[in-house]
Parts: sequence; structure tokens; C-alpha cells
Amino acid sequence: MNFFRGVMGGQAAGPQPSGAETIQKLCDRVASSTLLEDRRDAVRALKSLSKKYRMEVGTQAMDHLINILQTDRSDSEILGYSLDTLYNLICNDEEEEQDESEDESAQKQADDLGALFTEKFIQDPEHVTLLLTLLEEFDFHVRWPGVKLLTALLKNQGPQIQGIILVSPMGVSRLMDLLADSREVIRNDGLLLLQQLTKSNAAIQKIVAFENAFERLLDIITEEGSSDGGIVVEDCLLLLLNLLKNNSSNQNFFKEGSYIQRMKPWFEVGDDNSGWSAQKVTNLHLMLQLVRVMVSPVNSPGATASCQKSMFQCGLLQQLCTILMATGVPADILTETINTVSEVIRGSQVNQDYFASVNAPSTPPRPAIVVLLMSMVNERQPFVLRCAVLYCFQCFLYKNQKGQGEIVATLLPSTIDANSISAGQLLCGGLFSADSLSNWCASVALAHALQDNLTQKEQLLRVQLATSMGNPPVSLLQQCTNILSQGDKIIRRGSKVQTRVGLLMLLCTWISNCPIAVTHFLHNQENVPFLTAQISENLGEDERLVQGLCALLLGICIYYNDNSLENNTKEKLKQLIEKRIGKENFVEKLGFIAKHELYSRAAQKPQPVFSSPEQMLFDHEFTKLVKELEGVITKAVHKSSEEEKKEEEVKKTLEQHDNIVTQYKELIREQDAQIQELKEKVATMSSQNEQLQATLTQQLSQIQQHKDQYNILKLKLGKENQSQSNSQTDGSQVNGLQTEELTQLREQLEELRMQHAVLQKQLDNKDALINTLRSEAEQTADGSAGGSESTELLKELEALRSQVQSQSTEINQLNTERQELLRRAEAGSPDAVPCSDSSLDTNKMVELESRLSAQTTETQKLKEENKRLSQSQADLEQQLASVTSTVAILQTEKAQLQTEVQESKKEQDDLLMLLADQDQKILSLKQRLKSLGETVEDEDDLDARDPTDDEDEDEDDDED
Amino acid sequence: MAYAYLFKYIIIGDTGVGKSCLLLQFTDKRFQPVHDLTIGVEFGARMITIDGKQIKLQIWDTAGQESFRSITRSYYRGAAGALLVYDITRRDTFNHLTTWLEDARQHSNSNMVIMLIGNKSDLESRREVKKEEGEAFAREHGLIFMETSAKTASNVEEAFINTAKEIYEKIQEGVFDINNEANGIKIGPQHPTTNSTLPGSQGGQQAGGGCC
Repeated sequence: MNFFRGVMGGQAAGPQPSGAETIQKLCDRVASSTLLEDRRDAVRALKSLSKKYRMEVGTQAMDHLINILQTDRSDSEILGYSLDTLYNLICNDEEEEQDESEDESAQKQADDLGALFTEKFIQDPEHVTLLLTLLEEFDFHVRWPGVKLLTALLKNQGPQIQGIILVSPMGVSRLMDLLADSREVIRNDGLLLLQQLTKSNAAIQKIVAFENAFERLLDIITEEGSSDGGIVVEDCLLLLLNLLKNNSSNQNFFKEGSYIQRMKPWFEVGDDNSGWSAQKVTNLHLMLQLVRVMVSPVNSPGATASCQKSMFQCGLLQQLCTILMATGVPADILTETINTVSEVIRGSQVNQDYFASVNAPSTPPRPAIVVLLMSMVNERQPFVLRCAVLYCFQCFLYKNQKGQGEIVATLLPSTIDANSISAGQLLCGGLFSADSLSNWCASVALAHALQDNLTQKEQLLRVQLATSMGNPPVSLLQQCTNILSQGDKIIRRGSKVQTRVGLLMLLCTWISNCPIAVTHFLHNQENVPFLTAQISENLGEDERLVQGLCALLLGICIYYNDNSLENNTKEKLKQLIEKRIGKENFVEKLGFIAKHELYSRAAQKPQPVFSSPEQMLFDHEFTKLVKELEGVITKAVHKSSEEEKKEEEVKKTLEQHDNIVTQYKELIREQDAQIQELKEKVATMSSQNEQLQATLTQQLSQIQQHKDQYNILKLKLGKENQSQSNSQTDGSQVNGLQTEELTQLREQLEELRMQHAVLQKQLDNKDALINTLRSEAEQTADGSAGGSESTELLKELEALRSQVQSQSTEINQLNTERQELLRRAEAGSPDAVPCSDSSLDTNKMVELESRLSAQTTETQKLKEENKRLSQSQADLEQQLASVTSTVAILQTEKAQLQTEVQESKKEQDDLLMLLADQDQKILSLKQRLKSLGETVEDEDDLDARDPTDDEDEDEDDDED
Repeated sequence: MAYAYLFKYIIIGDTGVGKSCLLLQFTDKRFQPVHDLTIGVEFGARMITIDGKQIKLQIWDTAGQESFRSITRSYYRGAAGALLVYDITRRDTFNHLTTWLEDARQHSNSNMVIMLIGNKSDLESRREVKKEEGEAFAREHGLIFMETSAKTASNVEEAFINTAKEIYEKIQEGVFDINNEANGIKIGPQHPTTNSTLPGSQGGQQAGGGCC
């Protein structure tokens, strides 16, 4: 502190130390002092010197100041001083506060200093990044000077700093956060910063838009009172303009974000014209410009169309039209509103229709178009306003055939309304007024009513004008040419050239691409001589453009001539040019139009903008016409009559060719129809064919079934025959069911046999018993035994006999039963039982034979059918055969390959064998060498040893 | 035009993977086989319906070229959803996914929903990256995955809508702070619209009464 006071005191009293010295001392202090307070005071002192000794502080202290920003981050006060000082060094604006009297060189010097120090500061891009991080500091003393410093840097060296901010992560986002700062000063200076930041850098503009800039700016504008708001509103609007101008992506985002709807309330200015402050005028002007940016004719047609649509839907257009018809609106706002409405309706049918329906709130109500046209042909209205009205009228008619028709209709005798002023009347009034500007505007306006509209060009030919009493009426077309030729006789205000240029443009537009109008024009004998005279004359600079336009008009008369007037055919007019003007001269004069200095300016954009009324010469649409016609007219004039004839011949032949082509086309069309028919037929037939095929396959399967049945029957028949002729054969090929039955029967038979055997045995036993009893009885009878005993025995015998009898009958029964069973078995399978009744078999045979004959006839039929089918199959089989042949080829190839493989395998094997032999030999040779005492050290040997070792180990293991 | 929510999306991924074509297919329902290189960032928008609610999608289509990387980074923070796109016929675009993902995670808010998209699924014959690989990568990094074709429009609608669904669910769960617009989500202008339907229904009843 003491030091600091000393410095300041010294300055006041003792010998004055130079500024540079003092600054050097302060710099040393900033650099070397360990005490924060010392450093802070030194920086503060530098700050106070930075305006007076800008150069010195800048050159000596800048590095130290930047250093402070890096090292003393914790102390906001010193950061603030440092930033303020840097701001003073870099900013150039402060000068204007001091005194305006300072000459320009001083200002220039200051600018140079600012540029120099900016350069120095951004030498290291890190410094800018550092500044960006400091902006995150919430402290007012840091953030505010930081914002100002960055703004000043951007003003001096925009593109470079934009580049640095763009690549630093979150750089733009941080700056966007400034808009959310609760301290208005920072928010407002943030707006200025963003204005500089977004200048002509589309990438940054997009990021800013992405960070919700539209939303926030529109909110701020609303908060601040829209157009009634102060300079903050203006700043917001300027920033919005920066973001949207020439940035289609942002425009799209603006539209998609429904922000167009939020512009509508801006224009609710109403009729209370209590105050039109300068700020309000500025604000509204910018607001109107914003609307125009969205619908500019230079934008892509699709984008403009969709914006126009939403402007109508949200009522923005209606709101603008209200301003248009309101009273007391300042002229420049009115002018800009007219221009804005123009571009909102341009080329959009819905908007144009709406505009046509707008009425002025007068009594009686007049259409807005009429009111506007009144201003256009009114000399007392400001020039820019008249231009704006012309633009509006042009935009109303642009691509609007309906509108064009309505305007021309107001001139036609049938639809004319004598009681009220119509657009047509106003235009005619303008056309023939004594004011050249009105002449020009009316001519161009009328030309736009005819643009690309053949119907209206022809309609307008019907218009007749009443002249002074006693004289017959004259057509509008003729009146125009009359004024042209008599131009010099009428006293006019303004430029004569302007009037004539206007009328010539109208005539050129009117008769181009309209042969009837050309004929009308040529019908007047005076017109052609007038034009040739104009063109051939050697006139001054001023008249050159008129000469050029006359040449164009004459050229159109040639190019769009249908040769209906004998005196003025294409050929005759060309001869006239050659004789009176000379081809080269004509083409040169024609070239004057496009070479005019104002031509290219008019060609750039549709809006008629002229710095002064004298410059009002070219219309945008007319420049397009010139571009289109200049070449073709030059060609048409240069062409000789022979060439023309040839061309016509070519044309004729072409027409003939065309005729032939059309004939062929018809033929082709007919054939096409036929082909279509045939195709349909083919389709139905193929579907029928499919059906037939299906039935065929069904029948085929049926045939197959029948065949199977037939086979079975055949087999059966064969078996029966066999069984008859050879009784020993047993049924081998019998159907499963029968064999089953047969086996069952056999089993039964077996059982019965067994039973029979058992009974036989019993019978034998009984017989034996009887025998023994007989012998016993004989013994007893022979013996001494009495007769009683023998009777008893006899009785017993008798009983036994009867028993035997019954048993034998039983056996008989069983036998018959068996016989029956055998027969049954035989019936089930006649072949199973040999030697059965043959009569039964023959019966069956007959029956079967009859069935067989029926089957065979059926089969015969089926066979025939089959034959037919097999024919159709033959094709398929052929195909199959070819396929199989290819398969066969492939297989043989495969076989070859396999044999090859086999061979190569064999070879390999042989080689392996050979190798093994060789190895064996080598080994034996080695051993022999070893035994002979030679030391053999071969790699192979070494290699060979290892496995043997392993083997040894293995052997050891085995032994274990 | 009225919407319940507005979501901001970004589309990222290597150059030539079809980001702009995906956007064009989604917004305009058309395919442009030859597309100019995107310069910086382009914008597109469309309305969709989820859960009966109108949701407006604002989509920023970024340039894939390395030289624009620093510019496109600025868009990560304010986005609620990101479509990370690779080309199934170019393995290198798949290999770069890690870099893209790191970049996105570093610069975006942590809740951003990322949808991984393998584009050009119509070019099956030239495929270099298997669908399973994409699925595995998505699983590993917690992303949603889909294969799309901007040419045939296959899955394009789904990709954008499923991302929106995920964001919507996160809003329902309260994960997103919908009042902070830096998250890329905005509530529509007239959120509760229940009142507006009442007069209409009453009018209908009255009309019915008149008939009787």
C-alpha cells in the first residue's frame, strides 16, 4: 500500500516519472509480490492507467494480467480488476465518449491498438478457454467484465474466436447460460455477446438455437413488452435475425417449434396510434424483417410455402393486413409491412385469395388492392412506398392465374363497373398519366397480370379506350404504341426514357408467346416503321436501352409470327432488318439490354429496390424474359430464308414422322389391347389346364388302386388254379387274413386230432382191459369156479361193451365233427385242404372268372387312359433323362476325381514306403558307421535319440 | 400442433452409416440413395403418439466426419435421446462405437437414453457385423438395440418410437427432471386438457335432449 501511495504521490508532486516507468514498476509488483493485497492494488492501479496509457499498459502488462487470471482464481476482486483492464485495452468503443473532435486518425490508431492487443491475447487459444471458464464464476465482478471482454474480443477478431469457442466443449452452452442470469445487466450484455458470437457462423447459430435460444429470446421479448419494449427487445430481435438469416436449418427449427405463432401478437398494435416512439418503430421494423426472413423468395420454395401456410393459419397475415389498412402508421413501417405482406402471399394461392378479399375500412369499403394501387399511381406518396405497393401487386399476381384474370376483367367491357374505381382503371390511369414513374409502375403491374398467361394476353386485346369526342375508340395495345411513338410530344414529369422503357416492357411481355397479339401489333402499319427507325437511328447513350427494347420487340414479332399477315411475314420482316438495320447492328442493339448496368441488379431478386426514382428501369420478371428470348431471336434473325425453308421442310417431315409415329402408336395400343385379351385367355386356359391336371392325377391314383385290386385278384385266381391242378401245393401267397383263419382252423384240427388220439388210447386201454377180463373169464370158466362168478363177469363185460359202444359213437360224433370242421376250413381256404369237393371249387371259379372279366374290361379302359397320360409324362421323363444324364456325367467326373484321388493316395503311400525304406537304410548305414568307429553327429541322430530315451523311461515304468 | 411432451434427439455415428437417411425416412417417409455429406448439424421434426399422448420429436442429425466432432459435441448436453448408428456392412463403423459411446457419456446428461442401431439391414449379402454382436454390445453397455434399414424403412419407425417410449417411462419413474430443459425434455403448452372436453360433451347431451 505504501509503495502504491508513493507512486501516486510522486506523480502529483515531485519530478514526473514517465508513464512507462510507473507501469513497469506496477508490473513488477504484480509479478513478484507475494501478498495478494499488493498484487490487487497494483492491478487496480494498472486499470486506472489503462485508458490514458493504453499503449504502455497493453505492451507491458498484458502477460501479467493474464497470469493473474490463471493464478489468482480464488480472489474475485483481483480477477475483476484484471478483466476490466484487459477490456480497456482491447475495446475500441470507449473513445467515442471522450471527445468527438479528435480526428479520425486518432480513432484509427485506437482501432489498430485494439486489433493489436486482441491479436496478442488470442495468440494462445488457451486464453480464450480460460476466459470461458471464468464466465462460469457467478460473482458479478468477474462475470460482467468477462462478458464485456469476450464481446470486445469477438468484435475485433470474430472468426478466430468463434473457432476457438466452437471447439471448446460446452463453450457455446456456457454463453447461452448468460441469458438465464437473474442480473439484467449480465443478461443484456450476454445478448450483445451472443450477437457478436453468432455473426455469420452457421455452426454456432445452430448450437445457440439448439440451446433453446428461440424460446428464451421470445420469452424475453414478451417480458419486455414486445414492440413497446426498450433496446433489450431490439437486441433480442437482432440476435433472432442473426440466427435465422440464411440459415435454413434454423428456419426449419423455428417453424417446427411453432414459433411463427408466437410472432403474431407482436403485430397487435391496434388503431390507437398514441405513441410511435423511435424504439417502437425500430422494434417493429426488425419484427417485420424476421417475418420476411422466414418467407424470403430466396429460400427453398417448399420451406417458404410451409411458412406461408402457417402464417395464414395462425392469423399472422391477417394481423399484418390490419396494419396495412390502419391509419396513422408511420410511412416506413407501412412500407415494410407492405413488403412483408408481399412475401407472405407470394406464390401461395390461399394467401393470395385472402389478400384479394381484404377490404379497407372506408365507406364504401374498397378492396385493399385498389387502395394500394391508388398509392402507387399517386405522385405525392413516398417513392419507397410506391415501390412496395408495386412489389405487393407483383407478389399477388405471382403464379396466380385467378388473380390475373380478376385484374384483367376489370378492364373488359363486359365486366366493367362504372360506379367504383377498379384496379384496371387505376392501372390505365397510371399508364397514361403525365408522371413517368406512374407510367412505369402501371406498365410493369399490367405486365405481371399477363405473365405466363396466354388467356389474359388475348383477353387484354379486347380492351378499347374512349378517346376525345368524335374519334373512334382505340385499342389499349394501339394506345400504348401511340404513346411510344409520340413520346416527345407530351410534356411529362420525370424521365421520358422511364415511360418508354416501361411501355416497351409491357408490349414485349404482352405479345411474346402470343401470335394473335403479334398479329394485332403488326396490323397497324405504323408500328414496324417506327421500330426500325428507332433501332437504325444513331442515338445517344440514354436512348440505347430504348433501342435495345425496340429490337427485342421487333425480334418477338419475328419469332412468334404465324405469317397470317401477308405484308409482315417472318421472311419480310427479316428482309426489312437486313435492308434497313443490318443483322449485325440489330443483334448488337439487342445486346444493349442485358449489358445495361441496372439489368443485373434487377435480375438478382424479385423485389423492386431502387436507390433513386431514375434507376427504376428494369423489372425482375422482365429480365427473365430477356434471358429467354435474346438467344432465340438472334438465331431467328441470322437464319437465312433457305435455312428457314429447310427448317420448315424438316418440320413438315417431322410432322409426317409424327403422324407415322402416332399411327404406329395407335397400332401398338391396339396390339397392346389384343395382347391383354390374349393374356387373359391364356390365364383362364392355364387355370383350366390346372384343374384338368388335378382330375388327371386323381384318376391316376384311382387307376393305381384298381391295378392293385386287380393284382390281388389275379394272385388269388392263380392260387385257385394252382390248387386245382396241383393239390399238394399249399397256399403260400394268401392274403394275411386268410392265413390267420387257416392257422386257427389248423390249430382246431390239431386239437381234435389230439382228442381223437386220447380217445383212441382210452379205447385201447379198454380193449386191453376187456381182453384181460376175457382171459380171466376163460381161466375161471376153464377152472373150477362156478357159473355165478362168470355171469357176473359177463354182466360186467356187457356193461363195458355198452360203454365201449357209447364211446365209439362218441368217437364217431367227434369224427364227423372233425370232418365238418375240415370242410369249413376248406371253404375258408379251399387250397388249405387238399382234395376237397371240386364241384364247390368250380362254382367259385365261375364266379371269380366273371368278376375277373369285368375287372379286365375296366382295366382295359384304364389302360387306355393311362396310355394317354403316359404320353404326357414322356416329356417329363425326357427332362428327367437329360437331368439324369447330366447327373451321370457329373458322377463319372466324380468317379474320375475319386480315382485320381485314389491314385494320388497310392502314390503318396508308395512315397511313404520309399521314405521309410530310405530311413531304414540311413539308420543301418549309420549303425554300420558307428560300428566301424566313426562318430556320427547328425541332427537326425540327435533327434532320434530323444524318443529312444523316452522309450527307455517308458520301459522303466513298465518294469515298475 | 399441441403436444404433451417434446423430446430432443441427436443422431450420432461414423460418416456414411445412414444417419441423415434414417432421419429423412422418419420425417418424410422417403429414401434418398445419394445423400450429400451433412455439414455440422441438420434439423428435423415429427409428431408421434405414445400411450395416447402426442409427443413431438426434435431431431438433430449430426455430421459423422471427424472434423465436425467438436461441433457435434455441443449437442449432447441438451438431448434426451441419442441414436448411435453403425453400418452392418462396415466393421470399422462398429469398432468405433466405443469411442462414440465414451464421447456421448462424457458430454451428455447421465439419463440420456441411447439406442444402438445397426443400419442397412437390407444389404444382408454384404453384412460384416452379425446381429448377435450388436446385441452383445448393447447388452454390455446398457443400450437398446435394433437393426434397421433406412432404404426399406424396416424398423425405422420403431427405432425412434422405442427410444421415445424409454424416455417416457423414465419420466413416469421420475428419473428425468422435466422442468430442466437442459435435459432435452419439455412439457407441452397446455398440459392438462381435460377441461376442454367437458363443454363439448355437455353440448352433445343437450342436443340429444332436444331430439326427445
